[in-house]
Amino acid sequence: MNRFIFSIALFSLLLFCMQPTGKCAETESTPEVAAGASAEKPSVDKIVAKANHIAYYQGRDGRADVEMTIIDQDGKERSRQFTILRRDVEVEDDSPVQAGDQKFYVYFKRPADWNKTVFMVHKKVDGDDDRWLYLPGLDLVKRIAASDKRTSFVGSHFLYEDVSGRNPNEDRHELSSETEDAYVLKNTPKNPETVEFSYYLMYVHKKTFLPYYLEYYNSKGEKYRVGRAVSTETIDGYLTVTKGEMEDLNTGGKTVVTYSKVKYNTDLPDDIFTERYLRNPPRKELR
Amino acid sequence: MNKLVRFSVNNPKVITVMMVIITIILALLAALPTLLPESFPRLKPAMIDTDPENMLPEDEPVRVFHQEMKKTFALWDMIVVGVVNNHHPEGVFNVATLQKIHALASYAEELTWADPDNPEHKSGVIAVDMLAPSTVDNIEPGAIGEVKFEWLMKSPPATPEEALAVRDKAKRIPMFNGTLVSDGDKDATGQTAAPKAIAIYIPLTDKHLSYKVASKLQERIADFGIGDEEFHITGLPVAEDTFGVEMFKQMALSAPLAMLIIFLLMWFFFRKFSLIISPMIVAVVCVIQTMGLLVTTGHTIHIMSSMIPIFIMPIAVLDAIHILSEFFDRYQESKDKRETILKVMDTLFTPMLYTSLTTAVGFASLALTPIPPVQVFGLFIAFGVMMAWLWTVTFIPASIMFIRQKSLDNFGLTEHNQEVESHSLLSRLLAATGRLTFQHAKLIMLLAVLVALAAIYGISKININDNPVKWFEPNHSIRIADKELNKHFAGTYMAYLTLASAAGDETVPATLASLEKAAEAKAKTLAEDGYEGVTAVFANLLTQAKKLAPEAVFRAQFLKLLETYAQEQAEAKTTPEVQIDAWYEAATFVSSEKQSIQTFKDPGVLNWIAGLQQHLLTLQSRDQRQLVGKSSSLADIVRTVYRELRGGSQEYYIIPDNRQGVAQTLMQYQNSHRPQDLWHFVEKPDETADQPGYRKISLWIQLKSGDNQDMQEVIDGVDAYIAGNPPTSPLTHNWFGLTYINVIWQDKMVQGMLGAFLGSFLVVFLIMMLLFRSALWGLLSMVPLLVTIGAIYGLIGFIGKDYDMPVAVLSSLSLGLAIDYAIHFLARSRELRATQGEWQATVGPMFGEPARAITRNVLVIGVGFLPLLACKCGTCIAMGVTAIILIGINIYQFMEAGITTLSLISIIGVVMLFLLCCLASRRSSCRQETHNR
Repeated sequence: MNRFIFSIALFSLLLFCMQPTGKCAETESTPEVAAGASAEKPSVDKIVAKANHIAYYQGRDGRADVEMTIIDQDGKERSRQFTILRRDVEVEDDSPVQAGDQKFYVYFKRPADWNKTVFMVHKKVDGDDDRWLYLPGLDLVKRIAASDKRTSFVGSHFLYEDVSGRNPNEDRHELSSETEDAYVLKNTPKNPETVEFSYYLMYVHKKTFLPYYLEYYNSKGEKYRVGRAVSTETIDGYLTVTKGEMEDLNTGGKTVVTYSKVKYNTDLPDDIFTERYLRNPPRKELR
Repeated sequence: MNKLVRFSVNNPKVITVMMVIITIILALLAALPTLLPESFPRLKPAMIDTDPENMLPEDEPVRVFHQEMKKTFALWDMIVVGVVNNHHPEGVFNVATLQKIHALASYAEELTWADPDNPEHKSGVIAVDMLAPSTVDNIEPGAIGEVKFEWLMKSPPATPEEALAVRDKAKRIPMFNGTLVSDGDKDATGQTAAPKAIAIYIPLTDKHLSYKVASKLQERIADFGIGDEEFHITGLPVAEDTFGVEMFKQMALSAPLAMLIIFLLMWFFFRKFSLIISPMIVAVVCVIQTMGLLVTTGHTIHIMSSMIPIFIMPIAVLDAIHILSEFFDRYQESKDKRETILKVMDTLFTPMLYTSLTTAVGFASLALTPIPPVQVFGLFIAFGVMMAWLWTVTFIPASIMFIRQKSLDNFGLTEHNQEVESHSLLSRLLAATGRLTFQHAKLIMLLAVLVALAAIYGISKININDNPVKWFEPNHSIRIADKELNKHFAGTYMAYLTLASAAGDETVPATLASLEKAAEAKAKTLAEDGYEGVTAVFANLLTQAKKLAPEAVFRAQFLKLLETYAQEQAEAKTTPEVQIDAWYEAATFVSSEKQSIQTFKDPGVLNWIAGLQQHLLTLQSRDQRQLVGKSSSLADIVRTVYRELRGGSQEYYIIPDNRQGVAQTLMQYQNSHRPQDLWHFVEKPDETADQPGYRKISLWIQLKSGDNQDMQEVIDGVDAYIAGNPPTSPLTHNWFGLTYINVIWQDKMVQGMLGAFLGSFLVVFLIMMLLFRSALWGLLSMVPLLVTIGAIYGLIGFIGKDYDMPVAVLSSLSLGLAIDYAIHFLARSRELRATQGEWQATVGPMFGEPARAITRNVLVIGVGFLPLLACKCGTCIAMGVTAIILIGINIYQFMEAGITTLSLISIIGVVMLFLLCCLASRRSSCRQETHNR
């Protein structure tokens, strides 16, 4: 899952941006400044790599308790609670552009009748991710096909791909504009038939490289979906998004996620992320 | 009387100017705000309403419930586009057709407009809830051990194999089979074959947009050019909306046509333009005044009220025809138009007043129905009828005063004309009838009794039924689409059955009791699973529960407090390490207690629903048709997803055996592209209101027919099933959906009409007693009416025509009109008898002028309703036909024309009347009268 969680988490910090939405995004661009700074201006590839890293790869491992609240257009709310454990496969390299394979263990606690449900991902930079599902009520372990990652994540407005991270290699990136604080990347899918958007804009904070605002556009060029970091904190030295949301402009519904008990570099054992642990969750690590 | 008529005759100009001014004022009051709304904000503009749902008041419980449930389950009225291809062996599952379907669905998704009432929102098609191959998910087992969700047809197929793959995938999903892809196709040997057709379901924000959306879709379909496939657009909202639109179009055609025909008919009778123009003016004036008043008083122009003009027009000329007819016959006696008209008016004033009153009462009685548009229809026609009377007794005499004496020289029953007239077919027939009825009174009366008995039998066979789609002619595109799609698919008529948990939200003490019980079992299981400190933790938890219980008012509040406590204990630094996991489990346990009232996660209840659905498929109409093509419910979703989780084998098409299994299956369903679909079938939780959800479900039932009767059979079938197979947990059930609403309003209409009819019958009877100053004569005048109306309904029963809304409305019309003839007939007979002294002597003169006037009237009415036949939609035709039958019967009441059942039926009326008269004359009241003479 989690790429999103961590990604949002990494979206981190732009305190001034924490106000509602997209205010940063609308900040007027200042081309002169950009031009003046061109000597130091990073390449598009570098921005993408740094943003990807800060969104998904801070620390060797991490954990967070997540509360996800789905707020429909009719005002009705329902929530899910789960704990995410994350472990990077390449632990040696904690450089700011490191982006290797990762393992996620998502353990559901609420609603109570989902308790002990587990979703596990082995995310691969090259090739399809491996995904497992354990449903305790059916005593069933399933592999889940990676065929379409753009389906809803447990009924929320987040998609599986938001959660486990869209591979940067799947899009062509260009710097479409700059604001005072952000590089605005336009990401166009290389295989448009596999996604429902025609492109999306990602606002990456210039100083921290935190991607803090996402806008998805449909084939008619209309913005229909917006993701944003709502608040951030520095935890264990890492800039971490503690609250984020995804809004569907077509229906008016949105999902808010808040992160608590976030910890990095807790030396999670690698064997937690195996099928054996689906039925026997690591209670201590999940507390 | 004299004052009013004399005033009119003496001041014809004043009367004319008054009439014109009143008409212009009412016309302007309606026209100005409609044409220039800004300039006249306080006046009410004309508002059009084509929604048959408005047959019920907006606050009618069934409509309120319908709206509430639509909101609860996020359901919308839908247009259905069915695509069939009868040329390709695989039906629509070929590359070319699927490409068109894909293109049409994409086009439909974009049919949205800014909502005029709420500019931030869009109105039109609700793309996210559309059901089309390109917008729904296929769920299937992937590679071994996998399950996957994928768009069923994200892009159009490129090869025939891909096209067939779409078909095969959809057929596996019970929610799609029979709905999205057809399930009624047969191969050459009559065996069920693979699907050949596809239906797209297009939900709309407002069903009134269905005509607009349907028209847009037609345009797009036309762009495809000529191909092998047929596109059928249907769905109840389209039918209703199209009906309304067509109705107005037809009315705009029918009303002028009625005018023309009445004009020609009068020309045929009187051949004097200057004379017949005045009844036409009265008719137009009455229509303008009535419609002007309707609009000005803020009433909408509904399907019903759009028919007011065509009802008023023929009725409005009736009295004028009596006057002209009498004037025509008498003018040559004195050759003084003033003297003649005063004499004519003297004779006719009372019968005309009473006939108008009874007609008005007949229509006004519709106000007793609980159906607002019918009330408006009845009251305004009653108003129009009284206006017609007023202007007839004032303007007609006035207009005669404008005619130059000289131009009347050759007018009317001159000696020459009298000669001709007495030999005319009409006169001869009438005279013969007169003789016949008198001579064979007993025989005819016997026949009348027989026909009356037959009528009673026929009435007992009347089939009360209605179906808005059948308001269209059989060859209307909507009827064709309806037939074609119901052949291929499970059914295009939607009804929804809601089941709600009747096991109440428990009180706090009851919750505490069941919590204690459940805690014991849970603690045991946890201890077995190796959790430490469970006993101490659960003992602590229950102590806390007892402490918190008195503080809480609601169940949810109590459990929330307790869960928070357990959670805090789990995270408290002081909690011993060995108890931490047990405390987390305790918190989860309390949370699951919160969910225990989610009735529709209970496998027992879901299995019961599956059983009910199975039973629905076995329901049959009286003529052995299968009524329910298919039903879809939460149980289908659970079973389908569970089957795919288990690898797709049909043996796993079952409900998991525990609540967690059900919940986790549904969690998987929400991992699709359309997680919101779940909430069309089950009530959504709402944490802001402490609503756990899953306490109501909606069963989507596709019926093959929209007949009220068929819907009623389904309702009864469900009631019987529930009574015989009580659910494992107490449930209440209720219906909604347009097909169901139709049943309700039709029920109300039939009962209301009956009440209205009986009410007006009573009032007319009272008026008759007043008119004749005799209860016996009053009763007598009602006899032909009873026999006639009985015969009409008997006939409807015999020929098997459904008793529906149009027929019901006509009962009031028939009451109002049929009594007219009786009044004129009796009033004139009594008058004549007074001069002739003998009933026998009365017959001859009676079947002269008075019968001629009555017959002319009957023709005008009958022919006046003919334009309804020009309508495209069946209702109008039904109305027209029934009206003509009715008029026909009334005609036959007074003349014999060939040996038909009808003539027999009607003759009876007259004969009975005569016979009763004979009998009556020997009785005291009549005899007394005779003695007085």
